[in-house]
Amino acid sequence: MSKTIFELVDELPEQNLTIRALKTLDFVVPGKWNNLVGFKNTIRTVTGETDEALIKTIGDRAVWLFNDKSEGYQRALWLYQTIDSTGTALGTAALANKIGEKVPLLGFMSKLTPKADKAQTLDLTLKLVVEVVAFCQINGIPGDSIGDFVKSLSNYGGESLMRMAALVSFDALIPLGPDFIQIVQTKLNSFGPKDLEDNSGFSQIKGMIPGKNTAAQLDFIGQSFDSTKSWMGGLVQKHNLTPGKVAGNLSSFIEGSDSKLDYLAAFLDMSTNYYEHTGIQTLARRLIERAAAEV
Amino acid sequence: MKISKLRTGLTALCLAFFLLLSACTAAPPSEFDQAQRESTERGADAVSDDAVSGSSFNRFFPATTGNDDLVYTQEKTGFAQAKLIQSGEEVALLSISDVSSNPNAADKFTASTQSINNFPVVAEGNRGTAMLVANRFQVKIQSTENGLTEGDRLDWLQQFNLQGLAALAQ
Repeated sequence: MSKTIFELVDELPEQNLTIRALKTLDFVVPGKWNNLVGFKNTIRTVTGETDEALIKTIGDRAVWLFNDKSEGYQRALWLYQTIDSTGTALGTAALANKIGEKVPLLGFMSKLTPKADKAQTLDLTLKLVVEVVAFCQINGIPGDSIGDFVKSLSNYGGESLMRMAALVSFDALIPLGPDFIQIVQTKLNSFGPKDLEDNSGFSQIKGMIPGKNTAAQLDFIGQSFDSTKSWMGGLVQKHNLTPGKVAGNLSSFIEGSDSKLDYLAAFLDMSTNYYEHTGIQTLARRLIERAAAEV
Repeated sequence: MKISKLRTGLTALCLAFFLLLSACTAAPPSEFDQAQRESTERGADAVSDDAVSGSSFNRFFPATTGNDDLVYTQEKTGFAQAKLIQSGEEVALLSISDVSSNPNAADKFTASTQSINNFPVVAEGNRGTAMLVANRFQVKIQSTENGLTEGDRLDWLQQFNLQGLAALAQ
């Protein structure tokens, strides 16, 4: 049986490479993300409640809401988990003991294959589409409401804002460089349905992307990127984000991170799961906010 | 005699080992196990078939002016919720829910000592104030840390369109 919502939130790690990488982005979302873990701890923090009986009542209601498949929370979880599951091969065994020490990027180079711009463009845009669709599932609005999503981006906070900051930093700036918006747009314009169908990430989440066929889904992916590119550009500008700055901050625990950006991107892809981690945090927060309102 | 003792010893040792092994492998019990079990039984639903659509609640939320803004965060059957933003900071969550999905929620109002427009109001927990409209819809305001005070929450509760919401229950 798959895990319960309280197990998923209880098992979120307090410290690992994903958390260390996200913490280097604190300057983008100052004080807005504090890696909230643990189911009851999340209830206490989100609601400010200290009464154990009330916390239990809220938790019970959250469990009921999560387990009702028609409420959309399970679909959002599946999306966040699936889009992150393709590249964590280095995640567990080789890096399990690297919590407190510096990781030498050079030592992993033989195991890493940098992605070409085409594959990286698909990674980035599919993650963005997952965010749009998961947002719609959690909020209860139609799955193709890009406009509502874009409006809400300006109110994104906490783990949701951190996830978007990481998307721009780790999946756009580092692998594609400072001109990532133009690069992605050019690539997207050159893609046909076959390019999507050949991509394993797309095959996995195809059923959840709005559009009656692959061509329509490609169009939806293009619209999602087109509608959010100015928000991403704004984030870059506001925080003076550059590949060098992001990589420089990562060098606090990844040795050699500022010299081989394409390998650094591949390393982050293979060793972190920030979409799943912060996705579970977003989901837990929304569930608990609703449960606390309904009890 | 010796063999019999050895056999008893071995049996005890095996039993102890088995107990230790099962203790290590079984997930620790959780206080949410019962909710998990009940909510995954066949036919279990978190939301009542009678619940009204969440979008029908939106027009009863307070109107905002000046530096106040409402940002809707969830709209599901029997439920709508919005963040109240004041001068760019989130200060509270405002929600309307249909208690037909969770009838126990109405129990706390039997002990209510205050009311707005004859609808019972209760303070809940450290940061919440709730009201039951027409015995059907719970209107609740939950402050963020350093957000609305209890007095603010009572003011905002009055700004919902309570008569309109009550009419929805008919």
